[in-house]
Amino acid sequence: MRLRVFLGLVLASVLGADPAAAQGSIRIGFFAPLTGFAAADGASARHSAEIAVEELNAAGGIKGKKLELVTYDDRHDSKEAVALANKLVERDGVVGVVSGSYSMPSRVTAPIFAKAGLPMTVAYAVHPDVTKAGPCVFRNGFLGQVEGWAGAEAAVTLHKARRIAVLTIDNDFGRTSGKAFIERARKLGAEVLSEQVYPLGEKEFSPYLTKIKEQNPDLIYHTSYYNEGAQITRKARELGITAKLEGTEGIDSPKFLELAGPAAEGVTFTTNLNRDDARPEVQNFLRKYKAKTGVEADMVGASAYDAVRLLAQAIEQGGPDPKAICAALTNVSNYPAITGRISKFVKGEVTKPVQIQVIRDGKIRSLATIDNPEVITPPVQ
Amino acid sequence: MATLAQQIINGLTVGSLYALMALGLTMVYGVMRVLHIAHAGVFTLGAYAGLAAFAWSGSFWVALGAAMVAATLAGLAMERWVYSPLLGKPPITTLIASIGAFIALEEIYRIVAGPQPYSFSVSLALPDVRTGGLVLTAPQLLVMLVTGVLLLALWLLLSRTDVGLAIRAVSQDGEMAMACGMDGRRVVTLTFGVGSALAGAAGMLVGIYYNSVSPTMGSVTAYKGLAIIVLGGLGSIPGTVLGGLAVGLVETLVIGLVEFPLPRDAWAFLAMIAVFLARPQGLLGVK
Repeated sequence: MRLRVFLGLVLASVLGADPAAAQGSIRIGFFAPLTGFAAADGASARHSAEIAVEELNAAGGIKGKKLELVTYDDRHDSKEAVALANKLVERDGVVGVVSGSYSMPSRVTAPIFAKAGLPMTVAYAVHPDVTKAGPCVFRNGFLGQVEGWAGAEAAVTLHKARRIAVLTIDNDFGRTSGKAFIERARKLGAEVLSEQVYPLGEKEFSPYLTKIKEQNPDLIYHTSYYNEGAQITRKARELGITAKLEGTEGIDSPKFLELAGPAAEGVTFTTNLNRDDARPEVQNFLRKYKAKTGVEADMVGASAYDAVRLLAQAIEQGGPDPKAICAALTNVSNYPAITGRISKFVKGEVTKPVQIQVIRDGKIRSLATIDNPEVITPPVQ
Repeated sequence: MATLAQQIINGLTVGSLYALMALGLTMVYGVMRVLHIAHAGVFTLGAYAGLAAFAWSGSFWVALGAAMVAATLAGLAMERWVYSPLLGKPPITTLIASIGAFIALEEIYRIVAGPQPYSFSVSLALPDVRTGGLVLTAPQLLVMLVTGVLLLALWLLLSRTDVGLAIRAVSQDGEMAMACGMDGRRVVTLTFGVGSALAGAAGMLVGIYYNSVSPTMGSVTAYKGLAIIVLGGLGSIPGTVLGGLAVGLVETLVIGLVEFPLPRDAWAFLAMIAVFLARPQGLLGVK
């Protein structure tokens, strides 16, 4: 009997939201892959989200209340993600949620938050379905198409490439941006010599690149993450390929520089973070991130920082009513995100310039900004 | 033509690494009739140990020695505390234990060294060999040279020494060998040691070749190693070398020469199935 009472008490304390914490603060949910293969990205997203919250609280919080981040690890596992989404909805008393995670966990949780009427901002997940979950899901990162189009714009108009070989990673991100790249590169008058697809986690690129070497392109466009991107870069230079190398935001990481070594010199890629952006908020973030983690910031972190601040601003304007927060996000215009000025959201998709960054003397620098509306307008009806 | 030759060089390099990794598997199978999945964990340990020793000493040879010693110790520990206690149990028990040990090792590496990959960059005192349009890069040359030397050493050990004779005898017929007065237990220990040392060297070479050491670097090699030893004929050492080189070559040539929408890792298994149908004992296996 006593045991049952004890268990009942435990259950009550687990199930009931912690009222003491909820009263004095405004809580927002946050999830990222903190363990597992994507843990490096998860850590970057979490540190950056924490920086955003610390800054907001130092400046007086939201409506006089402290902002509190309720952080979960989704382990890049759909079951885990669903469980944490239910906890956030039923137990944690959050007024909104930020995804600092990849497409898969964002995709399975977005409908749960949408059903509960909770506003959600998504830092960098690319899958188109994420924002289709409901009217109150807002993506701070680019859709795959926009990134592919911008890549082609840079390849053909900036690098003057006429003959291009394409290497695409076999997942949704790779295929969507690869297809969009080819479509626009052809439209701009370049010749696409080949499109090879490789599996996620591929390490041995010599067969693909030997084939490309024979085709003698001016430029190789690869959709990849930093592991694969670094192998492509090293192997291409080892084989004596002198073509320009252009990648995507997947290689926007200090790990890419480390794994590719000197071969990374001159590599360009599309992303949303411009390290040379002179705006104080950008330089301020870059400095704080370095001080907190000891490494240079990447686009994952910067995007998570923006996603937290976007939601916080909407809560400031409309909160705590979820509908009003949603309306504030829908009406965002000319918002100074550190990953580029957001002109507006179209059906939850962001409209902002795409950055072309280049690796020069072992550092990531700005090369160009693409703001052609034909390229950066998200393809949603 | 130059492209084809280049692809053959690429394929043989990868194949050498496969062979080096799979040799330990086949040797252990020979003396113990166990599929030693955790061998891939030993392989990864070699990479980490080599990297740590290289960071400390700056010497490739010290690092290679450390990789092989660490891997040997890990192999011996597993033989002593995982496989020996399970001797005489049904084969499925040892197989499950082995898979468990492999998963545990990967998680230990993740907890100790972190999930993100480390770079393993060694400036090699080797030239890139370039003739015509053909390149044999310094890392490729390194992989082939080290593999060649280790294979030669293994061949000398097995064919010219009493220890080698004992290993071969036990793997051909364990009971008969023991009836002739050989110490079966000692032979098993020795085999684990030698096979693990080779895996450690392979792990470190893979780390250098791809400039990347990570907790999960053994996972593809774990299952591909099985395909290779079955392809070569379970327990056959020359068969495993041949199997490794063949799988490396086929994967590379398929990607390089034909557009075929099948992931490269599938080819090792297709080859395995084909060989099973035509020659159930494997390429160089004995019925």
